[in-house]
Amino acid sequence: MSGTRRALLLGGAALAANTALAARLWQLQVVESDTYRAQAAQNRARTRPIQPLRGLIYDRNRTPLVANAPVFSVWLTPADLPLEREGPVLANLAVLTGERLVDLRFKLNQARLAPDVPARLARAVPRESALTIEERRQDLPGIAVRTGTRREYAHGDVFGHILGFTGPIPAEDVQTYRGQGVRFDEDIGLAGIERSLQTQLRGRDGEQRLETDAFGRALHELSFTPPQVGRHAVLTIAVNEQKAIREILARHLALRERGAGAVVVLRPDTGDVVAMVSLPDYDSNIFTRGASSESFALLVSDPRRPLINHAISGLYPPGSTYKVIAASGALEAGVVLPQSKIHCDGRLILPDGWAFDDWLPQGHGLVDLERAIAESCNIYFYNVSGGNPYTRLQGLGNRRLAEFERSFGFGQRTGIDLPGEASGLVPTSEWKNKNLQQPWVTGDTYHAAIGQGLVQVTPLQIASMYAAIGNGGRVMRPRLVDRMLDHHGNVADRTPPQVRGVLPISDTNLQLLQAGLYRAVNEPQGTGPRARSAHTVVAGKTGTAEYSGARDAEGRLPSHAWFAGYAPAEQPEYAFAVLVRDGGEGSFAAAPIARDIVDYLVTGDMPPLPQNRPDFISPDHRL
Amino acid sequence: MLRWLARIEWATVISTIALVAFGVLMLSTTADPNTQGLENQAVQKAVLGALGLALAFAMAQIDYRGLHGLAAPVYLVGVSALVVVLLVGDFDLGARRWFELGPIVVQPSEFMKLAAIVAFAKYLSDRSDSARSLRTVMVSLGIMLIPACLIFFQPDLGTALIFGAIWMAMVFVAGARWWHLLTPVVIALAAFPFAWFFAQDYMRQRFVTFLNPSSDPLGAGYNVLQARISIGSGGWFGHGLGQGSQSQLEFLRVRDTDFIFAMLGEQLGLAGTIGLLAFFTLLIVQALVIGLRARDMFGRLLAIGIAAMLFSQSFVNIGMNVGLMPVTGITLPLVSLGKNSLLVTLLSVGILLSIHSHRGAAPFRQQSMHVVRGSLPAAGPRGVLGR
Repeated sequence: MSGTRRALLLGGAALAANTALAARLWQLQVVESDTYRAQAAQNRARTRPIQPLRGLIYDRNRTPLVANAPVFSVWLTPADLPLEREGPVLANLAVLTGERLVDLRFKLNQARLAPDVPARLARAVPRESALTIEERRQDLPGIAVRTGTRREYAHGDVFGHILGFTGPIPAEDVQTYRGQGVRFDEDIGLAGIERSLQTQLRGRDGEQRLETDAFGRALHELSFTPPQVGRHAVLTIAVNEQKAIREILARHLALRERGAGAVVVLRPDTGDVVAMVSLPDYDSNIFTRGASSESFALLVSDPRRPLINHAISGLYPPGSTYKVIAASGALEAGVVLPQSKIHCDGRLILPDGWAFDDWLPQGHGLVDLERAIAESCNIYFYNVSGGNPYTRLQGLGNRRLAEFERSFGFGQRTGIDLPGEASGLVPTSEWKNKNLQQPWVTGDTYHAAIGQGLVQVTPLQIASMYAAIGNGGRVMRPRLVDRMLDHHGNVADRTPPQVRGVLPISDTNLQLLQAGLYRAVNEPQGTGPRARSAHTVVAGKTGTAEYSGARDAEGRLPSHAWFAGYAPAEQPEYAFAVLVRDGGEGSFAAAPIARDIVDYLVTGDMPPLPQNRPDFISPDHRL
Repeated sequence: MLRWLARIEWATVISTIALVAFGVLMLSTTADPNTQGLENQAVQKAVLGALGLALAFAMAQIDYRGLHGLAAPVYLVGVSALVVVLLVGDFDLGARRWFELGPIVVQPSEFMKLAAIVAFAKYLSDRSDSARSLRTVMVSLGIMLIPACLIFFQPDLGTALIFGAIWMAMVFVAGARWWHLLTPVVIALAAFPFAWFFAQDYMRQRFVTFLNPSSDPLGAGYNVLQARISIGSGGWFGHGLGQGSQSQLEFLRVRDTDFIFAMLGEQLGLAGTIGLLAFFTLLIVQALVIGLRARDMFGRLLAIGIAAMLFSQSFVNIGMNVGLMPVTGITLPLVSLGKNSLLVTLLSVGILLSIHSHRGAAPFRQQSMHVVRGSLPAAGPRGVLGR
């Protein structure tokens, strides 16, 4: 019979083929078994991160400033969403949650990196949407609604710049945060305390491992690690004081067209922040509730830049509030004696022809240091800082002046617990050479001495300087966070007051400065009589800081109005800086605000409206 | 009775019983625990297996050469059934493969395999004198293509390809010229780009998935990947019967049919998979040996066809489970859930047993045909393994 050889050939081929199968089985079940075992375990166990509740923020009196309000959030387990259904599911979700499709797509792509870990697609959806999503689970594989939390700020309108707000991680920062163990779908602090204390407020993830079947149904728990709840922060600010001081500033600014300004009040001894206001500001809640696009557009387009905390991030020339630095430098360096008098005839013309004016055209006559401070005589400070070629007075000079500015805390951040603090600028000849390619001239020293020209400071730096003058010479780090509490309410971490530096001034000279500041407010010739309080003794200094802008009808440059000082003059309890942006004269625009704030802090009562005062002068009547 | 039992080829029977037992064991671990008695799929399989085996024993006593006369009618009935199922079959899982006869679900393509084997055996043995002629090859190709095309349009590409494999093996052993056989293969390969163009989407997808199952773990590649994970995680001895997260938590889908081998791999490990492979190899080798020892060409070709059917199906199925073959929906003969397949395979075993028990029987009827054709002696030379 034919075909025997061929049948044997087929048999051989079958044997060879089955041997190949056996070899493959050996490879899968012996050689690579561990890999597949791990994959099977991964199939079956699903890890669900348990996010801790974010820590709260309290005011000084333990009034909560923020709460974690329950909301419905939408979660996705990417492993349960087949690729071919992604499109329709995301489109449905975009409609139901109001999230943008591109955002959902971005989150899904991020979530696919760990397909079996649920990821949050939408933070807070309305109740109706949550119910609809639950009802349509069949059409939305992998999607689940869970309760989550949203930050709700109790005084969000008053504390906007201090608390800041939370929100989704910006796409470009996702990698950075992942490195810190923060998932891409979390809310993080994006501004204010929420941002600067992000790590402490957040706490640490817990973890739940579940055995699940192929359809994603959880069968039972394999292990559970509880999350570590975030710490709570207690601020140095009290709600009522912050609220009242903001209100006082707002009332004064309301008299102006597009008024803008900032106030910082510190405790001189500790550096504790009593109040910090930058107007216009924003309500933290609009970011966590989802701002309407109009109100958000309004915030973004406002030329006063309300989203920026100008108390710490705004840079301004300090004007005459800065003169105390040149004064103390001149005394310490022996440029002048306290009693030395310098003649002021309203103008100083250098041999090269440049003229430098006093604010008082007829001049102050013969002035000593105290009077120079009290009456804010420019000519005196030109002489002691840059020298006078006619009297052969050797001035302090740029280098030594800059050193003194730095020792008062300028040109560097104060180290307050807020993001975005600016360091300001202490100009030097090196800086000017390098950045403007121009040589330093005597006029630059003159300008620096009176807080004009290239000098740039923040209101917080000015307040901090006056706190140091008031407390006897210690430059304190401004304290905004008093302590951190654990979730039992026990103190976990206390931030003690911290001395950043000591003013390089003898007690005698410091007392001369203090006397000048007292006289500026309390003597008839002083520049700050409008800061005089009926309830306590205020010491302080006005500032009118010109900046380059459109000149007014009389050809004057626009100016920021400052008033900075402390009260009571003996044993001060408060140091403050008030800035009215484009406010004109410090003595008219800023000093009354300081007085109202001091009155309020001393008495606890709201002062009368500025326009109801007998000495009220409308900002429209400029001198 | 004893004389009857003495005629049974026991290696074939034992490997058959072992393979059915593997199936019953696997199905018992996935059966709905609420079902009792005959409702339980494992019990059903055991009962049907026992009945089928009894039938096979009975067939062993009947001369297989009776099939020679039945070949044409059986073939025509089978083709008619395929036409009927295409027209009125139950549309299920995207294909028309079944129709219902009362409580019984009939899958004509399964029976057609056996019918085609008988038809080839008759045609090729009748024309064994001109086996090398192109005409023989072309006619037998036509006999194969009619049912294969009908099945292709169900659509069931896998089963259609099994027909091709059976035909190729039988024509090869019948003595066709090499180039007659290689030409269709070359044509098929050359036609692949065109076939790709006209292929159904699911076929293309399966091919792509076969090449890289990880490309889409939740889509078409899911089953392949999960099967591989199941088998691999079984290790040497598996997780034990009824254990193993892959099959028990249903990460492994179609675990009762296409991927029953993966479930076996997870639960019984390398010991189980190699054991099963060994029994299949034994069965296939026995079928070939029976064919070599058959007393006539008809019997030899029948056995070769059955061996080819068993081998091609088991190889394609296991190959698919371990990721060496594309997913074709071919079930594992004797082991998988399907009742039609089990019955047809046991009938095939019955035919094998009959060929074996009649290897020395006196020829009748057929001999006269041979004499008429005047080509072959009544009994061919003994196979090399013959006694």
